[in-house]
Amino acid sequence: MGESSPKKILLDPLVNNNPITLQVLGLCSALAVTVKLETSFVMAIAVTLVTGCSSAAVSLIRTKIPSSIRIIAQMTIIASMVIVVDQLLQAFAFELSLQLSVFVGLIITNCIVMGRAEAFAMKNGPGLSFLDGIGNGLGYGLILMLVGFFRELFGSGKLFGQNVMTPVTEGGWYPTNGLMLIAPSAFFLIGLIIWAIRTIKPDQVEAA
Amino acid sequence: MNPETKRTFKVAILLCLVCSVVVSSLAVGLKEIQNQQKEAFRQQSILSAAGKWEDGANAAELFEEFITPVVVDLEINKATDLYELGADPLDTKIADRTPEFHDMLEPAADVAGIKKREKYSIVYEVREDGVLNTLVLPVRGKGLWSTLYGFVALDLTAATDGATGLKVKGLTYYKHGETPGLGGEVDNPLWKAKWPGKSIYTDGWKVKVEVSKSASTEYQVDALSGATLTSNGVTNMLRFWLGEDGFGPYLQNTLAAMATTTPSTDDPPKGSAVTESRN
Repeated sequence: MGESSPKKILLDPLVNNNPITLQVLGLCSALAVTVKLETSFVMAIAVTLVTGCSSAAVSLIRTKIPSSIRIIAQMTIIASMVIVVDQLLQAFAFELSLQLSVFVGLIITNCIVMGRAEAFAMKNGPGLSFLDGIGNGLGYGLILMLVGFFRELFGSGKLFGQNVMTPVTEGGWYPTNGLMLIAPSAFFLIGLIIWAIRTIKPDQVEAA
Repeated sequence: MNPETKRTFKVAILLCLVCSVVVSSLAVGLKEIQNQQKEAFRQQSILSAAGKWEDGANAAELFEEFITPVVVDLEINKATDLYELGADPLDTKIADRTPEFHDMLEPAADVAGIKKREKYSIVYEVREDGVLNTLVLPVRGKGLWSTLYGFVALDLTAATDGATGLKVKGLTYYKHGETPGLGGEVDNPLWKAKWPGKSIYTDGWKVKVEVSKSASTEYQVDALSGATLTSNGVTNMLRFWLGEDGFGPYLQNTLAAMATTTPSTDDPPKGSAVTESRN
């Protein structure tokens, strides 16, 4: 990463060092929650908050954490953050929390959160770590929204639950694409996005 | 103990303490709001079983408008005014802990896997022009991982035909811990849409409705693929709660009472008087 201007740390993970398309992390939840834009959006916010806050917290006590238990210490902090988010969702967005079901809990095991804590927050100050966490969360969220956009639009003809192309089932003209509603379509879409990004930025292509 | 190990323990314990205080104080602080949300969702679940739910509506208002809760004594199988709504014996959790509010079930009779059955329960009536046309019954039972809690709504409009005239109006679950994507598909609107109109009882009040791998009769609903145990759980809990240890006898009593009052519905003023006195 080298240079560490705050702006670069925040914006780099959006495209140049995107956790999904370049680091290829966090795919599992990206497949699961992107059927609709609404769930993608909430998941994006949740992961961004958790990554940002946990990176900041880990960084704050990084000099105190004995290296022999550093992974489990990071996990404790991350897990606490995730429970906080889950409790907040249950209180203020109950139905969404049902739709996101286990996937909020599984943010704990999302490699992006853990990856940032271990790779960045353990070596940098709380401010920069927070920005790095937020940036990576946003990078993840960006891809989530992009995939969610295509899946909801072509899968059910809607965006955020509003009819854009009225599907045949509701008396409209658009025959919905059932493939978009099941998980594999997210693989195809993420694959296409990675292809597009690496065509524009050939330096991201890994050596064969 | 060397100082490094001591420090490791100290940091670990401190970290755990801080994290647990944060998490638990938040959980306690938000409990009230979460319970309100859960109650609203439960009401929504009753409404949608009864076919009265519209997306984006206010659950509490609709509930107030359409639904009448009735306390049922499951030992004499009749409505009772022994307890007010909100009383302890009507709370499933409290009834489950208190011996005088529940009956232990014989293993052979306990098809739903719930071990205890409360003595008093709440059913929900929907009336149109004073005539009872839908009855929503609480059901619960073991699936694969968890106990599923839900409601089954019965359509009583053809109840004059006796047991075979009773149809399912809807089945909804408001709480369960089944595998998302497999057993969790009990929440799938497409699957729930298969229930309305299904017959329930044979002529002799035997529960025949079931979830089946190849649904072909009016008593069968397609199973959830990849979720055999959850599907069986749904069948079992319907068998139990609609059967003779559940609400079966209460339904028979209700239908018998309706049969004696139906002739008077030809005469509107008299009919409403009759239903009022029944309340």
